[in-house]
Amino acid sequence: MRTKIAPILNLVENSEKLMPLTKRRPLASLPFGCRYRLIDFPFSSLSSIEASSAALFIGGSGHSLYDHIRSGATWGLESSVGGGVFTHSHINLKAELEDNDGYIGNYYEDHYHYVSRSNAEYVILMGSSMLSNIRLDSLLQFHEKKKSDVTVIYKKIKRSEVREDSIYSSLIMSKNDDDCVEGSRPVTEISDQDADLLINMEMMIMSKDKFLTYLFEAKNQHVDITTDNLIKFSREADDEIYGFEYTGYLKVIEDIRSYYQANMDMLNEDNFNALFYRANPVLTKPKNSAPTYYGKQSEINNAQFANDCEIYGSVKNSMIFRKVSIAEGANVEDSIIMQDCCIEEDVHLKHVILDKHVYVKKGARLEGTAEEPIVVSKDSIIHAEGDIEEGE
Amino acid sequence: MKTETVAMILAGGQGSRLGKLTKQIAKPAVPFGGNYRIIDFALSNCANSGIDNVGVVTQYQPLILNNHVGNGASWGLNRHNGEATILQPYSSMEGEKFFKGTAHAVYQNIDFIDRKDPEYVVILSGDHIYKMDYQKMLDYHKEQEATLTVGVMPVPWEDASRFGVMNTDKTDRIIEFQEKPENPKSNLASMGIYIFDWPVLKKYLVDNQAKNRQLTDFGHHVIPAYLRNNEAIYAYSFEGYWKDVGTIESLWSANMEFLDPKHELDIRDRSWRVYSNNPNTTPQFLTERAKATDSMITDGCYIAGEVEHSILSHSVKLGENSLVKDSFVMPNAVIGKNVKIEKAIIGEGAHIHDGTEIIGTDDNIEVVGYDEEVGGYSDEN
Repeated sequence: MRTKIAPILNLVENSEKLMPLTKRRPLASLPFGCRYRLIDFPFSSLSSIEASSAALFIGGSGHSLYDHIRSGATWGLESSVGGGVFTHSHINLKAELEDNDGYIGNYYEDHYHYVSRSNAEYVILMGSSMLSNIRLDSLLQFHEKKKSDVTVIYKKIKRSEVREDSIYSSLIMSKNDDDCVEGSRPVTEISDQDADLLINMEMMIMSKDKFLTYLFEAKNQHVDITTDNLIKFSREADDEIYGFEYTGYLKVIEDIRSYYQANMDMLNEDNFNALFYRANPVLTKPKNSAPTYYGKQSEINNAQFANDCEIYGSVKNSMIFRKVSIAEGANVEDSIIMQDCCIEEDVHLKHVILDKHVYVKKGARLEGTAEEPIVVSKDSIIHAEGDIEEGE
Repeated sequence: MKTETVAMILAGGQGSRLGKLTKQIAKPAVPFGGNYRIIDFALSNCANSGIDNVGVVTQYQPLILNNHVGNGASWGLNRHNGEATILQPYSSMEGEKFFKGTAHAVYQNIDFIDRKDPEYVVILSGDHIYKMDYQKMLDYHKEQEATLTVGVMPVPWEDASRFGVMNTDKTDRIIEFQEKPENPKSNLASMGIYIFDWPVLKKYLVDNQAKNRQLTDFGHHVIPAYLRNNEAIYAYSFEGYWKDVGTIESLWSANMEFLDPKHELDIRDRSWRVYSNNPNTTPQFLTERAKATDSMITDGCYIAGEVEHSILSHSVKLGENSLVKDSFVMPNAVIGKNVKIEKAIIGEGAHIHDGTEIIGTDDNIEVVGYDEEVGGYSDEN
């Protein structure tokens, strides 16, 4: 039987530091790991509890996201009985254009309608910036065993693993070592880079009634429905909050560097297996494709490829997405090459991220650093002399 | 609802010359080319030719085949005005309806075809590797005002006696049919592709049944009956790659041909895609010890060894210091360390343990069956 959970995905996420990759797409539809998008990870988690519907709140138009999700059938979200993907886009635009009260009204109403009309017992809040693979069935078990009002997922990481000016928060646990959460605080309040964080993974579960109570409170106070605000409301109401520790692979995707690092992490077998083979199978939109062809002269050293590529050159420590061609004599190292890129002969790329459909002309050379990889935006042309003609 | 054309893919055959590869699964479901099963070519041809109503007639070991085809969604055939339908033998008041031959299989499914009420029925086999636009053949059928059009291919004269050959007049009208003749009068081999005017074919099938004369097979019974009655039968010549992968050697060589980036089939042609029911797997992971040359590798593979002039289907694992050369490895096979495989077909889910050697020759391709274990003194055991 299906567990009755109404998932709400807050995809109005800060992605400015990921420009230009997020110029035309929300963080949630950022390509990752040769054939995925970040949204695949929370969506695949939902498959472990057989959720049959989900509500999405998106800042912009969400075009790239909708193209990816379609009916939601890939993740079992298309059931004709009470299922479906309920989308709410242009949240940012509405906030700007409409008078504040009108906007605020819709924002809370949309949440209210989705949750109150569903036959769910529980509500789960999720985002897409915490790259991880979480067994929500284990979370649900924990939540029920603790008879908790609210359960928040966290992971123990070092302060240095997130940005100095990170927008995320760390949980404050009770001293009794009983998994009780006493609050959260912005990680920017913690300056010691060696300090342990209990990073709030912005995922929480609560009963439908509790959620509606907090929603009402958020509406009264005119604040967003975020995990930090909900932790605050539940503390004020003297509700019990528990923290559920996640011990699998986590990368907080908050800038180009962390995005690059997360991709490179996949070339380490332990990380790769932890993310893909220790919890839920990660599902993505199925694509029709031919196998990848490796030419007679190709040289591969520790790299991942999606289907439909044609590889004649040399590829080392890199992530190659679908439909990429790399010509003979070309050399790609420590790089991320997204779908539909074409790399001509004798090109040299190192520490480079090519967004989709970039054309690299014969003999061009680009070299960034691991700390600051060069990012080339979608549809650009890189000329032989190395100058970049930006895509539209 | 009126439909112009219904395609019937005859996918019930065993393909016994494929030995252990068709022991548990029907020939059309045998994996091919890394990311496909044989029937994908006929199904994709239907989809690309704009034929949205497809009956897939299955009988022999149909589980994997039925599961693969499903409702046809992978080929875009699950439309409001189109569908792929699995047709299996059933029993009724008139007794059991196991299919005795190609025409008999269509006779048993008259109700299915009539429900669509088509003008034309395209009869296809699910056994062949090719790309063909059936719409062009249908246009030809209409132009000639034929009641039956047979897809034919010129074959070398010395091979003609292995096929059913069509003897035609100057207008391409078929005047004689010879099944595997000793002295062929023509080198136009039947491809097992037929377009019939449905009302005419139905009449033949029903009338003969009523007279207790069964038209069991298209080649042996229906075409001779049409010829006797002077029906307008025309030959439609197909030029292009077409391969019957009915034996181990031909399945192997078709895969080796498929590897060539300049292969006539052009699997990367976006305007005529070959669709399949794609598994959701991780990207292909080639470790720092991996080597892959002149090879096709598919998503879900983990490669720590060497791959040379071979096709590795999805989710194959290849251990360190192992070599796969001139071979076709089917999905989910696990190949251990220090293994050497040459000129072989490795079945789906087979397990080749550490240190094993599997070496075939051009005339004798080695075959490891589905889920078969070879070797077995691995360190891990």
